Amino acid sequence: MKKKISLKTVIITIITLVLLAISLFPFYYMVIQSFTQWDMVDKVLVPHGFTLRSYEYLIGRGGATNSLMWVKALLNSFIVSFPTAVISVAIGLGIGYSVVKLQFKGEKFIMNSLLFQMFFPAIILLVPRYMIAKPLANNYAGMIIPLCISIWAIFMYINYFKTIPNDVFEAARIDGASDLRILAKIAFPITKSVTTIVFLSIFMQRWSELMWDMLIAPDIKMQTLNVLISTQFKPMGAFPGPMYAASVILTLPIIILFLCFSKYFKEGISFMLK
Amino acid sequence: MKNNKNKVSRKKSVMGWLLNAPYLVYSLIFFLIPLIWAVWLSVMDWNLMSKNKTFVGLGNFKALFTDNKVQAAFINSYKYLVPIVILCFAGGLIIALLVSKLPDKIKGIVAVLFFIPYLTSGVATSVVVKYLFNYNSVLNTFLRDNFNLNINWLTDQKYAFWVMVAIVVWKMSGYYALFILSGIESISADVNEACALDGSHGLHKLIHVTLPMIMPTLTTVIVLATGLAFGIFTEPFLLTGGGPNLSTTSWQLEIYNTSFTRFQSGYGAAMAIASAIQIFITLRIINFITDKLNHKFGF
Repeated sequence: MKKKISLKTVIITIITLVLLAISLFPFYYMVIQSFTQWDMVDKVLVPHGFTLRSYEYLIGRGGATNSLMWVKALLNSFIVSFPTAVISVAIGLGIGYSVVKLQFKGEKFIMNSLLFQMFFPAIILLVPRYMIAKPLANNYAGMIIPLCISIWAIFMYINYFKTIPNDVFEAARIDGASDLRILAKIAFPITKSVTTIVFLSIFMQRWSELMWDMLIAPDIKMQTLNVLISTQFKPMGAFPGPMYAASVILTLPIIILFLCFSKYFKEGISFMLK
Repeated sequence: MKNNKNKVSRKKSVMGWLLNAPYLVYSLIFFLIPLIWAVWLSVMDWNLMSKNKTFVGLGNFKALFTDNKVQAAFINSYKYLVPIVILCFAGGLIIALLVSKLPDKIKGIVAVLFFIPYLTSGVATSVVVKYLFNYNSVLNTFLRDNFNLNINWLTDQKYAFWVMVAIVVWKMSGYYALFILSGIESISADVNEACALDGSHGLHKLIHVTLPMIMPTLTTVIVLATGLAFGIFTEPFLLTGGGPNLSTTSWQLEIYNTSFTRFQSGYGAAMAIASAIQIFITLRIINFITDKLNHKFGF
């Protein structure tokens, strides 16, 4: 009996791993091509030779027009994504706490405002938002501020605070703790799993944003890595090798971030379903 | 005492407004004003740059009905929606069912690995797809040499659309699998035991027990996938430009092009409003259907 079960498990494991291999194939392909000699790029499925030339190209060796533009673009991606995620978390935490736990007078108004906003897809707001943000074009502020608040993140916090008993906060208040102190010392640690999922999701969304960054930061010095790749690989002439290398660099930070926090992430996902 | 209570409630009120102030300012500048502005723009003929706008009334909206790009975007929304929802759902379900039967030791890591495609920027995916489907790539050379197949993946109307769908399904299946997996794992041991006693397993169990039990999760997945299907932009923008013959275009792409490359920004605003109406109505219909199904299964 025991043996039969394990055979079934083995078959299921094999099927799963085959499916997993298919699902991860594009990453394998991307990495392989980024290290392949330039005349063989896209012509092989197994590593052929080994060269760092594609990566060297990105740091300005071997004929890039603007030697450090790729490095600058990677930096820009971080400079834009990190504050956006931090602000989303801070705002979400503050609103979640105030709406659910403070029972202040504006609570209904805020809730209605949030629900109202949910109805409108962002695409409607595109042109006017662009007109409003235009004075901040080619400026980090113009890239960060218009996308720094996420209604989804706010609702994640609101729903999470609803699951936490009031006593925790009331006890601290009776002890004379200020609201900011309660937020920092109690609310923030308590919401760890939600904060992880919100921070990572917003970071990832911002990191992969294309349309807004193309509009608001067309200057090559301000482009994020995402935009720079998309403008560089469009013309037929681009060297494929460096494009693969750049894609690897674009993909890696997000994957590393998620793998580091995958434990909390799973908690967060199961909460999202409640 | 009463005085003290008033003081506390006033303090709470000040704090509450303070914590919400950034959101309210943001909403005014980046939501409310743009929203009104968008409606106003939609009745104007305007080229994004010029100071002159001409009032055209409902002219922009009338023009939508005879614009083949708008028709394509409208129809494509559903053409994307149906296969994306079905295939993402199927893909997510298959992954979740397989992963749920794995030994506990590797379950977590395998679920996370399936999730990685979701993390990838559409730009990186587009780079791989564009070069992999190039005329001289290893894939096309192989197909040509061995099967005498010469497929223009991205320029042939038959294939380009399905390439887009495949990218989305590849990207999202592992993500939805996490949702479905949580749903499956929340089914209590009693239910599984009862099934075993009644001799219900395999496909029978899936259709009559598992799926109805995780109906609320499925609803979440369907609604999320719907939003996704309406939001397609990066892949057609980088890979096909909406072509060939508008077969891969989407609302987002057409609105972007109309507003910022053809500079018909008033008309673009009208398109955006039309797309929002379509999304709204579609979501209502889907909600209606899933509500009925949920009701049927007792949720």
